[in-house]
Amino acid sequence: MDDTTSEKRERFQNNNLLQAWLVLTLAFIFGISLAGVQAALGPKIEANKIKETMEKVPEVVLGLEAAQKLSESGEALNIQSRIIEVDKKDKKKFYTVYEARFQDNALAGWVAKAGGQGYADKIELLVGIDAQAENITGLFILDQKETPGLGNKISDTAWRNQFVDKPATSPLVVVKDKSQGPSNIDAISGATISSVAVCGIINQTVSDIGPTLTSTKKE
Amino acid sequence: MSEKNEISGQGLGSDIAIHVAPSPHLSDQTFTTRRMMTDVLIGLLPLVVMSVYVFRMFAVTQLVICVLACMASEFVFVKMRSKPVTLNDFSAVVTGVILALSLPGTAPWYVGVLASVIAIGIGKVIFGGLGMNIFNPAMVGRAFVMIAFASAMGASAYINADGGVDAMSMATPLTAFKQSGVATSILDLFVGVTNGSLGETSAFACLLGGGYLLYRRTASWEIPAGILSTVIVLSAWADMSGGFGGGFVLHQLFGGALLFGTFFIATDPVSSPVTPKGKWIFGIGAGALIMVIRLFSGYPEGVMFAVLLMNAMTPLINRWTIPKPTGVA
Amino acid sequence: MADQPTALERFVQGILPENPVYRQLLGMCPTLAVTNGMKPAMTMACSVAFVLLCANIVTSLIRGLLKPHLRIVVFTLTIATFVTIADRVLAAYLYQMSKTLGPYIPLIIVNCLIICRCEVCASKQNVFTAASDAVGQSIGFGLALASIAMVRELLGTGGLFGIAILPTAWPDWVIMVLPPGAFITLGLLLGCVNWLEMRRS
Repeated sequence: MDDTTSEKRERFQNNNLLQAWLVLTLAFIFGISLAGVQAALGPKIEANKIKETMEKVPEVVLGLEAAQKLSESGEALNIQSRIIEVDKKDKKKFYTVYEARFQDNALAGWVAKAGGQGYADKIELLVGIDAQAENITGLFILDQKETPGLGNKISDTAWRNQFVDKPATSPLVVVKDKSQGPSNIDAISGATISSVAVCGIINQTVSDIGPTLTSTKKE
Repeated sequence: MSEKNEISGQGLGSDIAIHVAPSPHLSDQTFTTRRMMTDVLIGLLPLVVMSVYVFRMFAVTQLVICVLACMASEFVFVKMRSKPVTLNDFSAVVTGVILALSLPGTAPWYVGVLASVIAIGIGKVIFGGLGMNIFNPAMVGRAFVMIAFASAMGASAYINADGGVDAMSMATPLTAFKQSGVATSILDLFVGVTNGSLGETSAFACLLGGGYLLYRRTASWEIPAGILSTVIVLSAWADMSGGFGGGFVLHQLFGGALLFGTFFIATDPVSSPVTPKGKWIFGIGAGALIMVIRLFSGYPEGVMFAVLLMNAMTPLINRWTIPKPTGVA
Repeated sequence: MADQPTALERFVQGILPENPVYRQLLGMCPTLAVTNGMKPAMTMACSVAFVLLCANIVTSLIRGLLKPHLRIVVFTLTIATFVTIADRVLAAYLYQMSKTLGPYIPLIIVNCLIICRCEVCASKQNVFTAASDAVGQSIGFGLALASIAMVRELLGTGGLFGIAILPTAWPDWVIMVLPPGAFITLGLLLGCVNWLEMRRS
């Protein structure tokens, strides 16, 4: 009789679930606390992500000076985001496009979020297009990991300002000899691949969403 | 007992000491590090003359900076390790000259100085001095400054229109070919009146100096043979498949740092394999890497990285190619 | 248990004599990856300090309940929880920094330093000792990261904390803020530490 009870007790003590009671309890407590943290901070993180893009929209559409003037006068652009779907040969591609309107509902322009392969890693950028969908109004690099000192100059204001007022109707061309031309973009010396990558992303984006924007404008 | 004592007594008493050492037993007393380094310096002479002729003061300044900086860092680093100073074996001078000849003439003074300090300090002395280094010291120094000062060492840095040196007003042959498909004339490449790193422009000078090293057996012939034959085969293949229309092989052979690197950098006896078979593997591997980098990467030239990569493979190649002793199955 | 170090000893040991990076060679991943600037290095040091302190305290509190063959699971669970909290807090309040650090914050979970301290100290000693051990080790880790980041950022960009210090004529050694610079700097500094140690004895 004693033998069977001690055997039973031993089997009870060796039960996997019972041994792991501490792990299970801790997992439960930690899980609840993590859920709490996520509930408290999740909205803020989401807001950060959106804010990062939204903050740059007026600057990319209007240019830095005009955007500052606008915010000083207490006005703001109404920004609405929409997804533009583009049919490719074998797959569909989605672009997030922000439509910026003045207070009187006049269209200020569009900003498209786009990305593509750079020299080191993916480059993510915002490209602004004017209300007529004819000219590029600005460029902002959201994320890049290009070589410091060379490729990361794509974030420099001086280089980005080349893109302002370039036509959105014909593809941009990267040149190395500083030659002038309506669609010419001067390459960063020593970082041709990064320069070509940025122009490639812009050309692709503009040609993909251009038709949709033109048709929206007419409506 | 007494007999043994007698024998050992005899041994101690006589003047003939018996050395027990592994083969090879024949050794050439005159073949010292110093003689070898002097040979390399003589071999480098045509390149130095040619670089001074083409690049004038740019070459002189760069050579003086690199040689002085290499000797100074050799002195300081060896002192730090409290070892006897080894300046008189000329190895630091050789490193300095090779380094200077592999840099663009337009590179600012601090590039040469830093490259020399890294070459001698991190490339050589840290590993235990000459003979212990894994990588070719001059190439370690050059790789460091190449990445550190990309804008002072990249393709565009070679061009300096205001220096009064004709050659410097144009792009280097390999860059011109890679970016705009312009092939420099083979004769220009052979004589060396083109732009490039100081010592690499003249194929003729490289062949002359390299030939001397091979004749003196300071450099083994297997490595240059391996690199050159691989480059010829691969560039001929690329020529036929890419439709470059002939001349591509000679352009690849005479352009850039290929001949300079083949004779003076890849043949470094410390960082290349020991056995003839190993040397062939080393040469073929380096040649293949050079062509891969030249044809497919963002860099116009790949000799430096190819040699460094093969240096890293050298211990492994040495292990693969241990010769079998005769009579062992 | 009698020969376990006291709280004060634990605290002092962590800073220099048993420095996590220079003496124990632990936590090499963040040491190499995020020391290209003082700002990311210090953010990393603070995150590690937070995780280490919390993990040590929790482990020390439950040390009586630990089963030997399940202890690693418990350690990992605890560490992962606090790392996730640190990651979320950074994303909410220091968004740009959390983007810069990228995967290296979640990777604190596999930082051997923390699991080592849980195993060596916190699972055997009381809460106070475990906490002082965590603080000492964190200071040591922070100092090590700062020393490497200082060399790399100064040589690589001519400034510290993003503020220019050296004259503008300084040619940036770009290689120092790239991965090779991390290995070179760590190797040279380790050599210096060993050299000093040899001279002292």
